[in-house]
Amino acid sequence: MASSSSSGLTFKLHPLVIVNISDHYTRVKSQMNPPPLTSTSATVNGVEPLQQAPRVYGCVIGVQRGRTVEIFNSFELLYDPSTHSLDRPFLEKKQELYKKVFPHFYILGWYSTGSDAQESDMHIHKALMDINESPLYVLLNPTINPAQKDLPVTIYESELHVIDGIPQLIFVRSSYTIETVEAERISVDHVAHLKPSDGGSAATQLAAHLTGIHSAIKMLNSRIRVLHHYLVGMQKGDVPCENSLLRQVSSLLRRLPAIESEKFQDDFLMEYNDTLLITYLAMFTNCSSTMNELVDKFNTAYDRHSRRGGRTAFI
Amino acid sequence: MNSVEGLVTQIQGLSSSASDVLSLHNVLKQADDSLHAESTRLLPFLDQLDPSKHSLGYLYFLEACTAGPVTTESASSFVLIIARFISSCAAEQIRLAPDKFISVCKRLKDQVLFLEEPLRAVAPMLAAIRKLQSSTENLTTLHPEFLLLCLLAKCYKTGLSILEEDIFEVDQPRDLYLYCYYGGMICIGKKCFWKALELLHNVVTAPMSTINAIAVEAYKKYILVSLIHHGQLSTSLPKYASTVAQRNLKSFCQPYVELANSYTNGKIADLEAYVQANMEKFGSDNNLGLVKQVVSSIYKRNIQRLTQTYLTLSLQDIANTVQLNSPKEAEMHVLQMIQDGEIYATINQKDGMVRFLEDPEQYKTCEMIERVDSSIQRLMTLSKKLTVLDELMSSDPMYLGKVGRERQRFDFDDFDSVPQRFNI
Repeated sequence: MASSSSSGLTFKLHPLVIVNISDHYTRVKSQMNPPPLTSTSATVNGVEPLQQAPRVYGCVIGVQRGRTVEIFNSFELLYDPSTHSLDRPFLEKKQELYKKVFPHFYILGWYSTGSDAQESDMHIHKALMDINESPLYVLLNPTINPAQKDLPVTIYESELHVIDGIPQLIFVRSSYTIETVEAERISVDHVAHLKPSDGGSAATQLAAHLTGIHSAIKMLNSRIRVLHHYLVGMQKGDVPCENSLLRQVSSLLRRLPAIESEKFQDDFLMEYNDTLLITYLAMFTNCSSTMNELVDKFNTAYDRHSRRGGRTAFI
Repeated sequence: MNSVEGLVTQIQGLSSSASDVLSLHNVLKQADDSLHAESTRLLPFLDQLDPSKHSLGYLYFLEACTAGPVTTESASSFVLIIARFISSCAAEQIRLAPDKFISVCKRLKDQVLFLEEPLRAVAPMLAAIRKLQSSTENLTTLHPEFLLLCLLAKCYKTGLSILEEDIFEVDQPRDLYLYCYYGGMICIGKKCFWKALELLHNVVTAPMSTINAIAVEAYKKYILVSLIHHGQLSTSLPKYASTVAQRNLKSFCQPYVELANSYTNGKIADLEAYVQANMEKFGSDNNLGLVKQVVSSIYKRNIQRLTQTYLTLSLQDIANTVQLNSPKEAEMHVLQMIQDGEIYATINQKDGMVRFLEDPEQYKTCEMIERVDSSIQRLMTLSKKLTVLDELMSSDPMYLGKVGRERQRFDFDDFDSVPQRFNI
C-alpha cells in the first residue's frame, strides 16, 4: 500500500457519506451481540465474548466532472463471505433506483470499515471495476482515538505498480476535502448535538448542553490563541509580514461585538447577575440539603435523647 | 545542679536537626520531674539557651520556672521573658510539646492579669496562636485566652482580625464555647451585631451532652442581640442544637425570654416597665448595657415597620406613632438609620416630610458580579467539605449501629435471596 496517488484527481467528500457509514457500522455492531455483562463474569464462564468489530460494506455514489470527483451519497450492501464478493443483483437494483431519482450520480466505488486496507479488499475492488474503471475505496476507522485530531476516513485508489517484476494493483492513499451544502451543515449539526435519549432528566440534558458549549468555547479560545501567537510573532519580526492574512484577521475582528451602547452594558450585566444569582441559589439549596442530611445523621448517631426507639419508615 | 547543667549541654547539642530534636524531646520528658523539683534555681540557666534555636529545651525550662505562684517582682520579669520567647521561638519545635506551650501562655496571661496590664500580652498571644496553629482553620486552646485578653484590654480590632477566619477543626469543645462567647462579646463591643449573633448562635447550638454555664450566658446575650439586630427572637432552637440545649436553656433564661415577648408586642411603655422591674437581674449578668440598647432599638424597629405601610410621612406623625417626644428626635432617629443603611429615605426639611424609598441596588454593576462570584467560590469549598464530612458520618460505626437497629423487621430485601447487609 503506497502512500500517495499520482492520478491527479481531487476528491470531495460530503459529510452525509461519513454519517451514513458510521450509522451503518453502529447499527450492525449494536444488533450483533449484547454487550458483555462484566469482564469477571466473562472469564468465569471461560468463554470470551465476541469482541471483534464487524465489517460493514456498501457503495458510494457521486459525480465526476473532469478531474474533480465529488462523493455525495452512499448505500449499504451485503457481503457474501463465501464468494468474497458483494451482493451483485442487489447492487444493480439499487443502482437503477438511484438513477431514477438522481440521474447524474454514478457508482464511484465502495466503502468499508476497519483500521487499514487489507488484501482481501482487492477482490471486491476488482469486482467493481466493471462498473467503474477505477473505483474508490473509502475506509472508516471506527476505533475511537481521543488523541487523533483528523477524521478517521481515508480514500484509496488503485494503481498498477510493478513489484518484483509483476504488475500488481495496489491501493494508494489520496487526499480529499470535505464539501458541505447548507442543508447538510444543518443536519450534521443536529446529529452532532443529539442528547442521549434515556438521559431523560433535565439535569443530564442541561449538563450535556453546557458541556457542548464549554467545549465549543474552549476550541474558540485555543484558535484565537493561535492567531494571537501568530500576530505577536509577526509584530516581533519572527514571522514575515503577510498583508492578506492581516486583512483577513482584521475583517474577522470587525465582525465581533456588534453593540457597544450603554443600555446593552446595563442589560448584559443585569442578565449576567441574574444567572449568577440563580447559580448561587442552586448551590445554596444543594449545600443546605447536604447539611440537613449531615445534621440528621449526627443527631441519630450522637444525640442520646432523640428518637426513643420508635421505628422509622425505612424504605 | 549537675543534672541541670548536663541537660543544658544536651539541649545545646541536640537542637540542630529534626531527628535530634525528637530524641531531645524524649530526654526532656524523662527529666521533667527533676526540672520541676529545682524550679527556683532554673532562672540563670535560661540565659545559656537561645530561644530561637533551642526552643524545645527553653520551653521545658521556662515551664518549670514559672510553675510557682505569681508574685509582683517575678511577674514583670517573667512577662518580658515569655514575650520574647514567644516571638522568637521555632514553631516546629514547640509543636512537639503543645500542652507545655499552652501552659506557659496561660501563665503569661495570669501574670499580666495580676499586673493589670492585659495589653502587654495581646501581641505575644497573637504570635503564639500563629505558631501553635497547624492551619488557619484550627482552633487552639490559646484562641479564647487571646480573646479574653483583647476584651480586658479593650483592643477589639485585633480580636476581630482573628475572628475573620473560618474554623473547621477544634481541639477541645470548651475552647469552642469560650472562643465563640468571647468573640460574640467583642463583636457586640464593635457593634457588629450580625457576626455576634452568628458566634453566639454557634455556642448555643454546639453539641453538648450536658448544659453548661457558658451556653446559658451565651443564650442570654443571644436573645438580646437577636432583638437588637432582627427585632424578633425565634422561639425554638434549630434542630441541629443538642436536645439538652433545646429543653433546658429557656428555663435558665426566663427573664430574657419575657423581655423578648414584651418587645415583640411593640409597646414601649410595657418594655421599659419590665426592664425597670428586673434591673438587678440584668445587672448581675452584666447585661445592662445590652438591655439599654435593646430598648433604644425598639424605636428603630417601629420606624422600620412604618416603611412598609407609608410612602411619605411627616416627622410629627412619626414621632406620634413611635411614641417619641418631638419631631426633632424623630428626625435624628431617621437620619441615624439612613446613615447606618437600615432604611432608604429622604427627608424634606421644608415641610418636614419623609419619603421612604426602595432599595436602590440594581444588581447591574461589576462589583456586584464580583461579590456574587466570590460568594459562589466560598460556597463551593464549603460544599466540598460538607460532602467529605457526610461520607465520614455515613461510615461512622455509631451511626450505622443506631440506623441498623431501627430498621423495620421485614424489608422487601428479606424476601429476596440476597442476604442482609447489616447484621447489627
